[in-house]
Amino acid sequence: MTAAVEFLNVSRHFGSIRAVDRLDLMIAEGTFFAMLGPSGSGKTTCLRLISGFEQPTGGVIRIFGQDCSAVPPNRRNVNTVFQDYALFPHMNVRDNVAYGLMVRGVDKRTRLARADELLGLVKLDDYGKRKPGELSGGQRQRVALARALINEPRVLLLDEPLGALDLKLREAMQDELKALQQRLGITFVFVTHDQSEALSMADQVAVFSDGKIAQIGTPAEIYDKPRTRFVADFVGSSNVLSSDMAAHFGGPARPASLRPESVRIVDDGARVHGHVTTLRYLGSGTRVVVTVPGGEISVFLGKEALLPEKGSAVGLTWDSQAMHVMEQD
Amino acid sequence: MRSDNRPPLFLTISAIGGLLFLHLPILLIFLYAFTTDERTYQFPPPGLTTQWFAVAWHRADIWPALYLSLRVAALSTIMALILGTLCAAAMARTRFFGRDQISLLIILPIALPGIITGMSLRSAFSIMDIPFSTWTILMGHATFCIVIVFNNAVARFRRLSGSIVEASLDLGANSFQTFRYVLLPNLGSALLAGGMLAFALSFDEVIVTTFTAGQQSTLPIWMLNELVRPRQRPVTNVVAIVVFLTTFVPILIAYYLTRGGSETAGGGK
Repeated sequence: MTAAVEFLNVSRHFGSIRAVDRLDLMIAEGTFFAMLGPSGSGKTTCLRLISGFEQPTGGVIRIFGQDCSAVPPNRRNVNTVFQDYALFPHMNVRDNVAYGLMVRGVDKRTRLARADELLGLVKLDDYGKRKPGELSGGQRQRVALARALINEPRVLLLDEPLGALDLKLREAMQDELKALQQRLGITFVFVTHDQSEALSMADQVAVFSDGKIAQIGTPAEIYDKPRTRFVADFVGSSNVLSSDMAAHFGGPARPASLRPESVRIVDDGARVHGHVTTLRYLGSGTRVVVTVPGGEISVFLGKEALLPEKGSAVGLTWDSQAMHVMEQD
Repeated sequence: MRSDNRPPLFLTISAIGGLLFLHLPILLIFLYAFTTDERTYQFPPPGLTTQWFAVAWHRADIWPALYLSLRVAALSTIMALILGTLCAAAMARTRFFGRDQISLLIILPIALPGIITGMSLRSAFSIMDIPFSTWTILMGHATFCIVIVFNNAVARFRRLSGSIVEASLDLGANSFQTFRYVLLPNLGSALLAGGMLAFALSFDEVIVTTFTAGQQSTLPIWMLNELVRPRQRPVTNVVAIVVFLTTFVPILIAYYLTRGGSETAGGGK
């Protein structure tokens, strides 16, 4: 497996702020890689280090094995879909898409034909003559995608590309992006703060926290076996049990995570009893917060489940393997 | 955006009155260019003639003044376009210590009374032993022309998404291509508008010019001197028409170029 992008002990400091702090990272060729984290966690800086708009203050970045510290952005075989799309407002859609070939001196007929091909790929066949200002958010996003693909990059960087779209469109675009990546077979590096987006699209997810990677793995690994409290919290509001509670429930005396959907409300054979403090309707189900000795446990109940009343006493249980002991606090 | 509510009659009348008060005197200037009376401006004019245009054409003292004014206006516009755009680019694209203060310093000359600018430049020139020349006038004019271009360019830069420059580089363009294909087309109309306004301002500037011109006379200064001497008075009005057209047409074009955008076009002076 070839490494498309490699970070070796890479740092990027802005004054006293360590945006990226001694980071090691390997992105395999052909993967859909998500960088997930809250704002300010260093994920966007990482993306800009790959595109070349930021220079590392320490360490080495390799793109397909080649140290690229001396290669300016316009010579890297890497293209970016910008967060605000950054379409050229004075050019029509076709010229926007063809821009990468135009600056390389490709003749007009060839480059426009290729632009039309790519517009077909993103299902915007009849929009070539329009200006970016006349398009909807979703359409602009596709134009930005087509424009970034025209130079046939080996790595495509996407900076929160779905952030500005409404929910329905975002879900549709997630499926399309995933399909597109599989069809083209190139490496996608995708920055997002939306955990559901990262989990549903990516092959590999890196969870960023304070300029470091808190955990890296497949979506299932990240979701089911969070290594730290931060990951457990950030990826889908998990219950984090203190070491005392974990020991009380029969595990080792170390903090553990427990997914709300793994917890059941039962009458008999409960591991713990408590009182319902909050009920929050989420559409697809209801989140019930139960105060138990030593803390709180959230329970996710599906549509068909019978809801307990607020303030009522309930018993909770879960399968032993649902409780995941974390490596660090 | 048409409102069906009609404004009160009183407001309509005062608005029309105000506009007439502002613009009728300009029409009078035009009218007196055609009067047959050479010494006084009596109303109504005793007769109408076009002879003053011919007289003005043959007056030897007008041409050097006109030429000097055009030269100063053109040069200070070019200077303002280059320096103003560079300043705006620096202000819009980077953050550095004292950025806001420097931005204020650039805009200051337009807020400063021309008489202060003129006096300070004059004393600076005399301290440094710089003899008065076209260049001293030019420097005076550049102080406010740069502001005009700067204001227009900075507003346009702000409206542009910062990442379009990065997008261009990302797609493989070099800096020159990025400037030529991405920045220039987007800044173009703002620069043209700024340049036209700067030209118009420079062309009819009097105050700063009196302090920095020495013995030279630009067209506005020539007019000022002419008003004192009661000889062929309507010639001054003919020249006024020329000045009016040379400044009004660029301002009109600038207005149409920046219309619909949120950018500030002129800004005082």
